[in-house]
Amino acid sequence: MPETIATTPGTRAVPEVAISTISSLVTRTGSWKYQFPEYHDRVAPCNAGCPVGIDIEGYLNLLREGRVDEARDLLLAENPLPAVTGRVCHHPCENACNRRALDGAVAIHAVERAMGDLAHERPAPLLKGAPRAERVAVVGSGPAGLACAYHLARFGYGVTVFESAPLPGGMLRLGIPEFRLPREVLDKDIARVAAHGVEIKCDVRIGTDLAWDELTRTFNAVCIATGAHTSRALDVPGEQLPGVRPGLAFLRNVNSGKRPKLGKRVIVVGGGNTAMDCARSAMRLGAKVTVAYRRTREQMPAINEEIEDAMREGAEFVFLANPLEFTEKGGRVHTMVCERMVLGEPDASGRRRPLPTGERFTLEVDTVLTAIGESSALEGFFTDVEGADSGLRVDALGGTSRDLLYASGDVTDLARTVADALGMGKRAAIGIDRHLRRYHGDTTELNALRFADGNLSAARWLRRDPIRRTAAVNKVVTADDLNFTQFRRVPRHAEAHLESDIARRGFSEVNSGLSTADAMDEAKRCLNCGVCTECDVCLIFCPDAAITHAADGAYAIAMDYCKGCGICAAECPRGAITMTQDRP
Amino acid sequence: MSQLRIDEFIPENRLLASGHLACPGCAAPLAMKLTLNVLGSDTIVVMPACCYTIIAGPWPQSSLQVPVFHTAFATGPAVASGIRAALDVQGKHDTTVLVWVGDGGTFDIGIQSLSGAAERNENILYVCYDNEAYMNTGIQRSSATPWGAWTTTTPAQYPESSNKKDILAIMAAHNIPYAATATPAYPVDFVEKVTKAKAMRGTRFIHVLSPCPPGWKCGDDEGLELARMAVQNRVFPMLEVEDGQRWRFTMDHAGDLVEPYLRRQGRFRHLRAAQVAHIQAEVTAHWELLLRRVQAEPLVPAGVAVAD
Amino acid sequence: MKKVMVGNHAVAWGARLARVEVISAYPITPQTQVVEKLSEMCADGTLAACFIKVESEHSAMAAVIGASATGARTFTASSSHGLLYMHEMLHWAGGGRLPIVMADINRAVGPGWNIWTDQNDSLSQRDTGWVQLYCETNQEVVDTTVMAFKLAEQLNVPVMLMLDGFYLSHTAEPVDIPDQELVDRFLPKREAPYKLDVEHPHAFGALVKPDAYMEMRWLMQEALRKVPQALEAIEKDWMRMFGRSYGAIEAYRAEDAELLLVTSGTVTSTARAVVDARRAAGEKIGVLKVKMFRPFPTTLLRDALSGVARVAVLDRNVSPGHGGIFAEELRSALYDLPAAERPEIFGYVLGLGGRDITPTVIDDVIEQTRTGTVPSRADLWVGVNL
Repeated sequence: MPETIATTPGTRAVPEVAISTISSLVTRTGSWKYQFPEYHDRVAPCNAGCPVGIDIEGYLNLLREGRVDEARDLLLAENPLPAVTGRVCHHPCENACNRRALDGAVAIHAVERAMGDLAHERPAPLLKGAPRAERVAVVGSGPAGLACAYHLARFGYGVTVFESAPLPGGMLRLGIPEFRLPREVLDKDIARVAAHGVEIKCDVRIGTDLAWDELTRTFNAVCIATGAHTSRALDVPGEQLPGVRPGLAFLRNVNSGKRPKLGKRVIVVGGGNTAMDCARSAMRLGAKVTVAYRRTREQMPAINEEIEDAMREGAEFVFLANPLEFTEKGGRVHTMVCERMVLGEPDASGRRRPLPTGERFTLEVDTVLTAIGESSALEGFFTDVEGADSGLRVDALGGTSRDLLYASGDVTDLARTVADALGMGKRAAIGIDRHLRRYHGDTTELNALRFADGNLSAARWLRRDPIRRTAAVNKVVTADDLNFTQFRRVPRHAEAHLESDIARRGFSEVNSGLSTADAMDEAKRCLNCGVCTECDVCLIFCPDAAITHAADGAYAIAMDYCKGCGICAAECPRGAITMTQDRP
Repeated sequence: MSQLRIDEFIPENRLLASGHLACPGCAAPLAMKLTLNVLGSDTIVVMPACCYTIIAGPWPQSSLQVPVFHTAFATGPAVASGIRAALDVQGKHDTTVLVWVGDGGTFDIGIQSLSGAAERNENILYVCYDNEAYMNTGIQRSSATPWGAWTTTTPAQYPESSNKKDILAIMAAHNIPYAATATPAYPVDFVEKVTKAKAMRGTRFIHVLSPCPPGWKCGDDEGLELARMAVQNRVFPMLEVEDGQRWRFTMDHAGDLVEPYLRRQGRFRHLRAAQVAHIQAEVTAHWELLLRRVQAEPLVPAGVAVAD
Repeated sequence: MKKVMVGNHAVAWGARLARVEVISAYPITPQTQVVEKLSEMCADGTLAACFIKVESEHSAMAAVIGASATGARTFTASSSHGLLYMHEMLHWAGGGRLPIVMADINRAVGPGWNIWTDQNDSLSQRDTGWVQLYCETNQEVVDTTVMAFKLAEQLNVPVMLMLDGFYLSHTAEPVDIPDQELVDRFLPKREAPYKLDVEHPHAFGALVKPDAYMEMRWLMQEALRKVPQALEAIEKDWMRMFGRSYGAIEAYRAEDAELLLVTSGTVTSTARAVVDARRAAGEKIGVLKVKMFRPFPTTLLRDALSGVARVAVLDRNVSPGHGGIFAEELRSALYDLPAAERPEIFGYVLGLGGRDITPTVIDDVIEQTRTGTVPSRADLWVGVNL
């Protein structure tokens, strides 16, 4: 435009003072940015760390929103026995919980327990898939067998469970004392499995009452979940003496209502849950109990709470003690001679290996209960199946080396916890479903059913995942990804326990859990790692007012104005926003 | 553990428009957004020369959906006094007159005007968003620049050699009804203070620590975390003073070391261990002074969360 | 109602009659009586204004700017260093098109400290966008103060009126105080065309880029160009209602004059007396009082001075390195006149720092102007005794 010499005002509307007439929305400051925020739900570590494959973050989130029934249903989608696992699971979810770094892990097991109990009062509607013609046999009614049967029933199959004992439950009933798992709780959880149409036939021992061949002929698929019932031997002199007994057999007796005589002094050898259950049961029978363990407290595989309960109830612990032999007096065991150990380098399990020092010491004893693990050899059947002598070798979906023969739980060579058993049962169910529906082989596509590298989700397998997941990134959120400053410190709710001297006198449940109200509050402690809960932090902190509530309830980012500063991602409490250099 | 939703703790959120010209990661518009959300539309903003002169937007735009009077550097409180007087003459006693000023306009060139208004107890709300230097003109030192900091007028070979002016104590010494520190990094605390100030009459002063990524030489997304560090390590404690008499902390301060805070900012990168120790000693000494001033217990145990 | 009052009180009375709503000021000799009187008026309720007693002149101007921007009728007063201290904000008022009225009690500028009159303080504010009106009498002060508001609010320009320190500020004269009701009719309540208003939120004075800054300055210039005409109309109204008028310039016994004294402020009155004496002796001498310095009344001055042989400009001020400021501006205003009609201009610098400009001094000026062939230099300093 040529310069002009103004002598009269023109027509351009410039006011006599600089008075604003429009907002700054005409300036598209979004063009400044070189990185873009995106809402990406990621995986909470509890979910990835749950062997059962429960969407823990998902149901805690529903509880936070007061959607209790939906939370219950989501829990039951993955776990057939929440009232059981809420009591006895070793809850690796809590070890993984990012809240540990803030003010203590969420008491997930206590919430699960409350939900499990709640589900007894307010049963979930039964979910059953379209009925399928095939029938599946499950051998064994422990957690693995029940999980397999439960999920298969929910997939639409007719399922029969064979149990050699008079009552279903397997190790839950025979191995876990009532003071940890009241029988009516177990019965109610099992009743829900049965309610899904699962037929449970007790007092039937396959191989004796029914031939294995007939079983494989009659049913389209078989899942073996017979468990591991043989206590490992110490292999030391004197182990055959009267008074030295496998702990598991002792528990089975006690849990069947018997009250064996033990004498005054009982030594329990081992550091796992069976050892703790033995110790606590023995104390309830009037014995003075010493636990001998060859490593130290830190390496004990038992659940921490159970170790604490055993200590509280009066068990003494002798650590770094390795039994060398048992001596006899009057035809019974009299002493246990131990070698003092010292901790060396970590072994394959990651725990520090106990090394002998040569120093010996002797403990006087009336009864020794050995609890150093169980072996899971099959007793004379399927000898051709891989791992039959030491624990069945199974693939990712529980398949054995024999076609349409699946296995899960302690009978396999995999981890031996209730949670692992439930997870394996579910995997076997998915494996059988997939197999019977004629797609077999490569399982990569199943990774979409996992929370990160965690267990498979049955809800996702059924395409019934009720939780909205936006552009989920299947990666675990670590504590570093979170912004703890956005959270208040709220202490973990403590469960109520029976007074120890009362607890010791009987087999009543020791841990009475959390009240429903406390459990709901505890659920609110969940940080919802990696999941947008619409907490508004991004909206509050965006310096460019570029984040708004979207019509669907989540957020919209006005990319015309977002300068890409990354504050939303940095301030997001849950790590649900990531900055990307790729233009969306 | 109720979840604080923006529509609960902030009544409206419409007065700050996008498209403003703050640098990415600047905390000033965040502070402005929170402030205006509390004050509402019955507010007139006085804006002396500062970063926000630019941020607000060039004519004919305005990113603030309330009346704004841009004015010369030293004049915020005086112009506000005039606006207040005119409003009072017009019977508009409830309109909030908000002075929105940087640290230069407060600590340096504007302190006479501020002191005058405070002495007269003018019925205005004065918010100093302190980014600790003349950032708009290119990071020159002000009397709010902390000891040891690099700026373009205090090069690393000869960094800032005076301590930051204790503006809160200066303002408290005017015995005004309300003086407080705040930072948008703790939005709930921030909003509570503005809400409290809004309900009062007379001169109310809020000293806001407002991180400036280009001036502090930190990442665009790091400013708020740095501000929280500055609070927790007691470089910038969260305080309020009523009537110049009653001092109190508005949250707990962890008492973290200052070194991690300093090390994360390029403006302090040159500091040697002895200089860091000096800063730590100064912070500790000032904290002890504050402890003597603060009589009441902390009001809020750790009430800093906006989410659960 | 006639009252005997000093000039400073006349200022206060003018503000009171204009029913100013917000006053902000800071005391400085010789302006102090203005703020004292206004304080009294506010305290006794005769003036319903809010008086903000600020801590500096910079803040005084800032405060009235804020109030004016909010739609209030505002007033302030200062002197010398106080006015200089306001300088930045005078620009803000001018550029902000705020109809503020202020009085400057003309006082010399230090160092050395000097509390007596000269015009260097106000003339230093030449380019701030303010109308400048120099008053001669206390009556003119009262009348001009009221009229200044009308002028200011009509065109959205600030107006500064000047009175000589002590010679007028502290000199008592009888003053006819106009009737308030009539003044109210003359000057109704201010209706601001735009203001700070939460119902209509706008930002004022934001960054203006080169593409529009010049247009806004052009509009400011155009508003100031309208001042002489607007003032003439206002004075006509004032004349009709109160029987007095002053004009942007006033020619006194200038008809057929061969020599005109160009004056401003109280020197005018002294010059009138000298001229009366000279006229009595048959000399064709008159006075041209320049009341309005900004906008500079170029056309009026050309008309008034065209064909006059010699003009003596009495400047109680100096632009160091140049000359008397009225003289220099006048020279440039008359430059375009045809050579035959263009007077010979003698620029005298005198009376600085309150030095008395007596009739004898003016006689000397007249003599030198009459007898000198051409001015020996552009600035002829009177009475310098080295």
